[in-house]
This record gives sequence, C-alpha cells and structure tokens, in this order.
Amino acid sequence: MNPLRVIWLVGLRELLERGRSRAFILGLIATQALIIGSFFLQAFVAGEASKVSLGTVGSVPSDVRLAITVVADSLDADLAITPYSDLAAATEALRDEKVGAVLVGPDVSPGDQGVGELLVKDRPDARLQTIVQAAYQSLGQRPTPVPSLHALEPQSAADQTAFLLANVAVVLLFVSIFTFGYWVLTGVVEEKQSRVVEVVLATVRPRELLMGKVLGIGVLGLIQLLLFVITGLVVAGVTGKLTLPTTTAPTALLMLAWFAIGYTLYSTMFATLGALANRVEDASNASMPVMFPAIASYLLALLVVTNDPDGTIAIVTTYVPFSAPIVVPLRAALGAIAPWEILLSAAITIAFTYLLFVIGGRVYAGAVLGTGGQMKLRDAWRLAGRG
Amino acid sequence: MLEVVDLTKHYGSVTALDGATFSAAPGRIVGFLGPNGAGKTTAMRCVFGLVQPERGETRWQGKPIDRSARLTFGYMPEQRGLYPRMKVADQVAYFAQHHGLSRTVARAATATWLERLGIADRAASRSETLSHGNQQRIQLAVALAHDPALLVLDEPFSGLDPIGIATMTEILQERAAAGVGVLFSSHQLDLVEDVCQDVVIIAHGRIVAAGEIEALKAASGRRELEVEVAGADGAWLDGRPGVSIVERSGNRVKALVSDGAELGDLLAAASKAGEVRRFAYGPPRLSELFMEAVEG
Repeated sequence: MNPLRVIWLVGLRELLERGRSRAFILGLIATQALIIGSFFLQAFVAGEASKVSLGTVGSVPSDVRLAITVVADSLDADLAITPYSDLAAATEALRDEKVGAVLVGPDVSPGDQGVGELLVKDRPDARLQTIVQAAYQSLGQRPTPVPSLHALEPQSAADQTAFLLANVAVVLLFVSIFTFGYWVLTGVVEEKQSRVVEVVLATVRPRELLMGKVLGIGVLGLIQLLLFVITGLVVAGVTGKLTLPTTTAPTALLMLAWFAIGYTLYSTMFATLGALANRVEDASNASMPVMFPAIASYLLALLVVTNDPDGTIAIVTTYVPFSAPIVVPLRAALGAIAPWEILLSAAITIAFTYLLFVIGGRVYAGAVLGTGGQMKLRDAWRLAGRG
Repeated sequence: MLEVVDLTKHYGSVTALDGATFSAAPGRIVGFLGPNGAGKTTAMRCVFGLVQPERGETRWQGKPIDRSARLTFGYMPEQRGLYPRMKVADQVAYFAQHHGLSRTVARAATATWLERLGIADRAASRSETLSHGNQQRIQLAVALAHDPALLVLDEPFSGLDPIGIATMTEILQERAAAGVGVLFSSHQLDLVEDVCQDVVIIAHGRIVAAGEIEALKAASGRRELEVEVAGADGAWLDGRPGVSIVERSGNRVKALVSDGAELGDLLAAASKAGEVRRFAYGPPRLSELFMEAVEG
C-alpha cells in the first residue's frame, strides 16, 4: 500500500480520535474563553478610570483653567489639577505617573502654536487630551490654537501592541508546542502499553506510524493556534482596544509556520523518548531531556529577548534549533529581525529536525516493540539496525 | 502456502529460533505447538516482519514475504492490543483500511463480522468498556475483517469460555473451507486434535515434529492401551516388556505399548486379573505425541 495513504490513515485517526476527545474540546473552549475574557476585562478596567489628573507649569491663563474644569465636569470626569513650580518637577511627576499629562504654559515653552505644550509620558490619555483640546476650542478663537503634543518617551500605539502581541505569541507558541508535543509522547506510550502497536506494525512501518501520528496531532495544534489568532484579532477589532501594527499579519503567519517547525522538532524528540518508556506513568520522567532545553528557551525568550530583541542572546538563540521556534517569531513581532535571518534560522532548524527524525525514527522502530523494562537508547539503536 | 525456512534468532544468550522450518498449506488448519519459550511467538512475529531473523526467511506463494503479501494476512498477537478509547466499529474498520480496504468496504465488513461475533450491539462502545472475552472477539474481527488469505493467531483460544471456543472453532473451520490457511498456537492439545488437520511441534527453537496429525499418529512406533479390569489395580501390567504405564486410576490403567505388541497376551493377562470391562487399543493421543516429541 502507498506509504502516503498509510500516513494519511494514521494521521486521520489521531485527528478524529483526539479532536473528539474531551481534553481537546474543553481545552479549546477554556483557552478561547480566556482570550475573550482578558480583552473584555481590559476594556472594563479601562472604562473605570474616570479620575484624571493634570499638572501645570508656568502661566496658564485663568480662562483656560476654568474652561478645562467646565469641560471635565461636562464629561463627567473627576479632574484634579496640580500646579508645579518648574518643568523639572512636572516632568518627574509625569514620569512617576502622578499626573496623566502636564500643560506647559507658553512662557515656559511656546509650542508650535504659541499657546504652550501638552506634555505626556509615552502617549496621550485620550480622555485628558480631549478635555484640554475642547477647553481651548471653547474659548472661541477660530482657528483655535491648541497646545502641541509632546511625549517624553514617544511610543506609538502600534509599538505597544506589537510588544503585547509578541509576548502573547511567545506564550501561545510555547503552550501549543508542548501541549501537542506531549500528546505525541503519551500517544506513543499508550500504543506501546496497550500492545496495540504490534497489530499496527503488522502492516505499518514504524516510520510511517511516527509520521502519521506527528502529522495528525500537529494539524490539531495548528487548528487550535489558528483559532487563537482569529479569536484574538476579532475580539481586538470588536472591542477596539488595540491598534494593530502593520506586522500583525506576517507575525500571525510566522507564528503558525514556526509552530509547525517547533512542534515537529519537539514532538519527534518526545516520540523517541516515549518509545523508550513502557508505561504512561514513566512518560513524564522520560520527557525530562526535552523539557530542559524547552523551558530554558522559553525563559530566555520571555525575560531577555523581549527586552533586548537585538542583543547577543537574541541573536544566538535565533540559530539554536531548540530556541529558534520561540525566539524568531518573537523578534519578528518586535520588528527586530531581518528576513534573511528568519530564513537561515528556519533552514538550520528544519535540517536539525530532519536529522532528529532520522535518528529518532530508528530508535523508535527499535524500541516501540520492546517490552522488558525501560530500554536504553543504545540498545534500541542497535535493535533497529538489524532490521 | 506459507513457508518458514531455516529461521534463526537469538535474544542475547537465549536461542529463540534455531533453524526452524515448516509450512502451512491453504485450506488447512495447522496447530503450532510447543512448550513456553519454544519460539512460537518469535516465529509468528517473523512472518509479520516484527522480528528480523538472523538467518532464514519466510515465504508466501513461493516468494519472500513483503508488505503487499502481509496485507493479505490476518494477525492476532499473543498479547492482545486494541486502542482502549476507540469505538469498537471504528477500530475494526481502521485496521481493515490499513489492509487496503476502502472506507466503505471496511465499514461493511466490520458490520458483518461484529454481527457474526455477536457484538454488533457494542459497535459504538469504547473498546475498553467491553469484557475480556468480548475484547478478544474484537481482536478476532480485526484479524478477519479484510478477508485474509492467511490467518496467524497466537493462542486464539486462551481465555475463551466454551461458547467462545465453539464460535472460534466454527469460524476457523469455515475460513479453512474457503481456502484460507490457518496457523494457530495453543497449549490445549485436545482442542488442537479436534480442530486441526496438521500440527507443527517446536522445542528449543527447532521443529521436532510436523505433518498431518493422522500420519504422525500412524507413524508413531507406539500405541495407546487403555484397560479396565474389575477388582484389579493394574499391577498385572507391570514389568511387561515394551510397556510404559502412563496413568493409573482405580481399576483403569493407561499405557503406551510398542507397535506390534502381542495383544492376545495382554488380553489374556488382563482376563486372568479379573473381569475385563474395557480394552481399548489404538493410536496415541496428540498429547502423547507431543510429550514424546518434546522430550525425545
């Protein structure tokens, strides 16, 4: 029989049996609920903030001051105005987030239109900005000069979203790769423990069984990840909470592609180690050698690379196959990686995965029929070598 | 025709197969006998490519067995294996598809066999929820659903109740009548004697006897004698040349005597001891042949 049909049959079985399993469906519902919930929670919390505080520096005309209070009242905002003696004090208060913005009088800084500046930390609080602008406009002059906006640490909304998305992507990738990689591990051990593998291998070659299994479970993983991404983007659009950076679509695609690569890499290792174990109870012990590089990669990505996406560690981990699947999409989401780097890293990781698959496939073939105790890697290799 | 030629396999210092050679003809039921650890399971695994022999080969229709040949075989391994959480019908159809059946044909064949084996009402149950005997029936359905040309069953009767044994026997006989070659291992020698036409006896990895049961019996240099004499404990048979006592119980005595023993003398001796109630003489049972072959 055609090997592709065999792989298809094995993969389809995994897809259908596991796709219908309570574990998959409940997991899917729970994670989707989490994504939607977190967005609404954020919107809810943001809506609560009716308190706004404005600092002033220099001479702000009293009619402006009055207009601001009136507008704030009419918008139902609880506004506190704090005057500061000089710009340095005001700036410090702003950095410490004691005030949301500082209105700088034209005597300290005339701004573009000669009426001073509205100083903010990174980006303006929409409510505060509206209040100040409306106050100036209410003074009746046409065209109305308004204080020009000046940020201490300019950061676009898109930048912020990119950072947020990058972090979400790392967590999702890590969780997805491990959830589904672990399914491959337990699937291999269960097949061995229930002895059904002997019936399967009477017609199926070990490597085909391995490929079908990795493929079937991988498709489930892709489906789940795709749903994550779609739900996330739809909810973001609906709640209007996020300004999506232009890198969103490529990042989403890269994430799916790197899930495929990373999952194949890790699930191949999981399957190989699973074949050496005899009982599901031993599976987690058997998986230790995989968990270590995985968790190290995850922590490095989350703690180091997010903050310094161009640093040495970021560059090194880009080309280490174990960490590349997490680090590359992260750097891409932060806009800190060149296309050629992505391609080179992908090539290295895929080549390494292929090598692992050849080695792992042989160990798997040698070990998967064994019954007597935990098998050693070397014995399995020799056993398969005879075949 | 399945031919196993000169199979040799060691596991470390243990010899599993040592030049084993035998065959199983189409339309015949072959009993594969041997003490535990004699090499039965290893030989069967070699047929399915699950074990690679160091020497020798397995052939089907005169050619080395390859993958396409194996698709026409049905296999029931010694350690039964099913996907515990898979539904019964899905499971049987899945394996049938692996033997090359289309989805539709596999489904139809599954329905037929589940009906035949009396577990059609459990088709939608998870396999693990069925009793041991019924799981054995699923395993048999897995071996049969693709209508194999050769059945290789490792201890198919173990763990079956009398009704299960009757069903299994009927199915094996029916398959053989349809031209299928059937090879199965068992320790239930009386059952094998009833069901099989041929036997292959293996000991320490070597075939020690093989052929038609009737021919093996006829060729045996011994005959079985069973005599019941009222009031005598069978001591009358002691010490006679060419006689070895197999079993004594009350007034009955069972012995193996060499072919050509003077029956007249024996009967006379029995009559002298008391009233002869039973005097049976004939070829030995399969179990006698087995002991002889394995120990000899």
